[in-house]
Amino acid sequence: MGEFQVHRVRFFHLLPSGIRCMDYSGLSDRLALARLDGSVELYNLAANCFQEKVFPGNESRSTEAICWAAECRLFTAGLSGDILEYDLHNLCIKYSLNGFGGPIWSMAANRSGTHLAIGCEDGSVKLFQVLPEKIQYETSLDRQKGRILSLAWHPAASHIVTGSIDMIRVLDVKTGHAVRRIAVDRSKMGMQNRECVVWGVAFLSSGTLVSADSAGKVQFWDSEKGTLIQTHQVTNVDVLALSVSQNEDSLVVGTSEGTVFQFQLVPVRTGETARRWVRTKPFRHHTHDVRTVVHGPSTIISGGLDSQLVIRPLMEKVESKTYDAALRKFVFPHRRLVSCAQKAKLLLFQFPQYLELWRLGKTEAVGKHDEVLPISRSQEHLLQLKKKGPEHICCSAISPCGSWISYATPSRLYVHRLQYENGVSISKMPRLLYSAHQILFSADSTKLFVASDRVSVHMFKLSETGCKHVHTFQAKSGSAEATCLLAASADGNWLAAASLDLEINVYSVKLLKHHCTLPVYKCPVTALAIQPMSNNLIIAYSDQQLFEFSIQEKQYSTWCRKVQQHGLHRDWRERDTPITNITFNPSQPAHILLHDTYSLCIIDKTLPLPDDKTPLLNQAALRNLSEGARKAHSHAFKISKKFQPLLFMELLDEGTLVVVERPLTDIQAQLPPPVRQKKFGT
Amino acid sequence: MAARKRATEKEELQATDSGDEDGPEELSFRKAKEEAVEKRRLAVESAQREKALLKEKRRRREELFKEQKKRKLLPNTVLEEITSTACSRADEEHTTQEQDDVTESEARSSEDSEAEAVDARLQESYRAVQLKAWDQISLQEQAAKDFIQSCLYGPGSNRTTVNQFFSLANKKGTIKKPAMQFVDNTWGTEEKQKAKRFKLRRVHKQLTSF
Repeated sequence: MGEFQVHRVRFFHLLPSGIRCMDYSGLSDRLALARLDGSVELYNLAANCFQEKVFPGNESRSTEAICWAAECRLFTAGLSGDILEYDLHNLCIKYSLNGFGGPIWSMAANRSGTHLAIGCEDGSVKLFQVLPEKIQYETSLDRQKGRILSLAWHPAASHIVTGSIDMIRVLDVKTGHAVRRIAVDRSKMGMQNRECVVWGVAFLSSGTLVSADSAGKVQFWDSEKGTLIQTHQVTNVDVLALSVSQNEDSLVVGTSEGTVFQFQLVPVRTGETARRWVRTKPFRHHTHDVRTVVHGPSTIISGGLDSQLVIRPLMEKVESKTYDAALRKFVFPHRRLVSCAQKAKLLLFQFPQYLELWRLGKTEAVGKHDEVLPISRSQEHLLQLKKKGPEHICCSAISPCGSWISYATPSRLYVHRLQYENGVSISKMPRLLYSAHQILFSADSTKLFVASDRVSVHMFKLSETGCKHVHTFQAKSGSAEATCLLAASADGNWLAAASLDLEINVYSVKLLKHHCTLPVYKCPVTALAIQPMSNNLIIAYSDQQLFEFSIQEKQYSTWCRKVQQHGLHRDWRERDTPITNITFNPSQPAHILLHDTYSLCIIDKTLPLPDDKTPLLNQAALRNLSEGARKAHSHAFKISKKFQPLLFMELLDEGTLVVVERPLTDIQAQLPPPVRQKKFGT
Repeated sequence: MAARKRATEKEELQATDSGDEDGPEELSFRKAKEEAVEKRRLAVESAQREKALLKEKRRRREELFKEQKKRKLLPNTVLEEITSTACSRADEEHTTQEQDDVTESEARSSEDSEAEAVDARLQESYRAVQLKAWDQISLQEQAAKDFIQSCLYGPGSNRTTVNQFFSLANKKGTIKKPAMQFVDNTWGTEEKQKAKRFKLRRVHKQLTSF
């Protein structure tokens, strides 16, 4: 595999925020997810569940509801009382509109996506018409007593059901009057007089109402007569979330204990037409409260305060037992939050509210394989840089020499110069009003590349006095999507930029012009890098494919063609997490170093590719073989699973690697208190 | 008639004056003043003496208290050990030099001092707030957040700590493991420190009692 001295970094105290709400769009096969810190993420379920877009959070925003409307337009609403629409092309907020009803607890779009209904703190339900480019207030339904905590449309958009404290109401959309008022039973074991909060409601096209409440019950009601049809005491704690499948024969609920239950509409007796709702399956993948569930076409998606996104395929909907039927869990973001100054041996960690700069430790000792070396100088926390204003940091970078730091919030780009004479001194550069989706320093730290809106890349020149805008690279396609990933060559000649619409452009930095555009692939790019010697562009896609493109020849390289003809190993294609970083070893031009969350891999282009019959993970087996046999059995993919969960990996210098891990137990230690569960014999 | 009466009155007055054998002393104004000053000085002195005495008494009492306390207190070496265990973890984090954004830290420090200055003048139940900050966090929003908090974590929500939860999971799992704080060193640092301090104190107490 090659031998490295590894800096095993475990002081990146990243804490993913809890998941608050989700919505699935069948039209684009995308999942929108909002977290407690106000950030919004989009997952492309068709492209191997890749986290495609991230909208950074905001301290003054606390999202309570998210929904898709009118052909893939995304809206959120929250306790600040505003409805926000997101610009999915340039990853920013298009506009915000106040609902004038106090904090908004719930929001839903009707099935055709023409109207949005919001449930407010003051008890009113307001309707907004979705127009192209904006939304417009239309009407307000009769104001009721108590906050509207949940709300759902009838599939025909004629009625709205609302859930508030101790009460379910049915409102007529046309007249705006409440036509039915149902009081929900408070009783719960032990707690007689605790008010019953209706956390989730659903309206089926047959006229049946479904409610999930804090007394731990899932109840079915007749909306015509206002009578109770069925009660299921699911748990003793709150049932927090409810979602019904598109064809209304199955529904899922999420509870405070972290369990997700599925209900299915099944015939009472075989051969009869009468059907009833039956609790069928429990799923226990969460340790904490499940705040939101989504019933996809063939999956159950759940998220909660343990900040895990769990995608669980429903076995009866899956035809063959392939990789698509596997359970998926996502904890870490699918992008880099760490950057490394290789020459100065510094690491920059990006948190939503601040940046942390650390100097790596040192060791003088030399050891054998798998040995832990004693450190002669421990790591040093040099700097904590807090952002200003309520907006969270969306990207950051440190220059290879370590004397420049740059970070960006959605509205501004900041560049700082660092000096390391007895301590660290920081000097501010003028703020720049550019939007940035990724920041990259050139290898000699004289230029700064900023990925920006509308497939553009800004180039700045750095000097002692400040940073000056030099050029803007613009793609020929004139697409409206933002650039999301950048890679610069080590010699400073080339710049590759991948945009959100799957386009990859290569620019010549010397000539300041567009060089070529790569053929478009069907999946989003997860990582991008240019090899130092050959100036080949290595691209990793979300479906785990790897491509190598020769920039000089403007075509895919021969190795790439060989890989595509041969096909990648099945185990490689069926990994869960995307490759987030690619780097190279200057002394071994044939090696490519890359990593995802659970493995670190070195690809040796000179060795033969493995086929599905040979095991992909063969490093341990190879170590026991003789020299000759080792050569015969080794293949191009050398994988180590020693470092997990891996957030970052970089080659510092000859034979030294730095890996940044974030153990899951460290995250669990800082989660909010879970519900006590009685276990027999404890 | 009136004149006669006045004359008799005068006589009577004289008679009472001359009743005390010696006549009234001749007191010059200077002497009287001196006397008065002397008297005042004496009064002041005695008051001072009293005060000093009281002070002395208080001081002695204080000393006595201190001595009593010292007698009860652990020896310095043990105390130092205890404080060092408490600070060791905090030290680890703070020996590394932290530098904040310069202007921000300045702003914060000035804000802090202002708040303190205001606090000193106000009654205990009163609080100084910045109107600007109050405006941003709307009361309604805060009430909504409190509602969520009380629903999920309020009384009757039956919550446990993360540590207990995962320790229980370790205990009940198919692979038995010890409690979380023994598996992972970063857990329960506070409790560990407390235990260490308690142990030191106890050891000392036992030593002294023999």
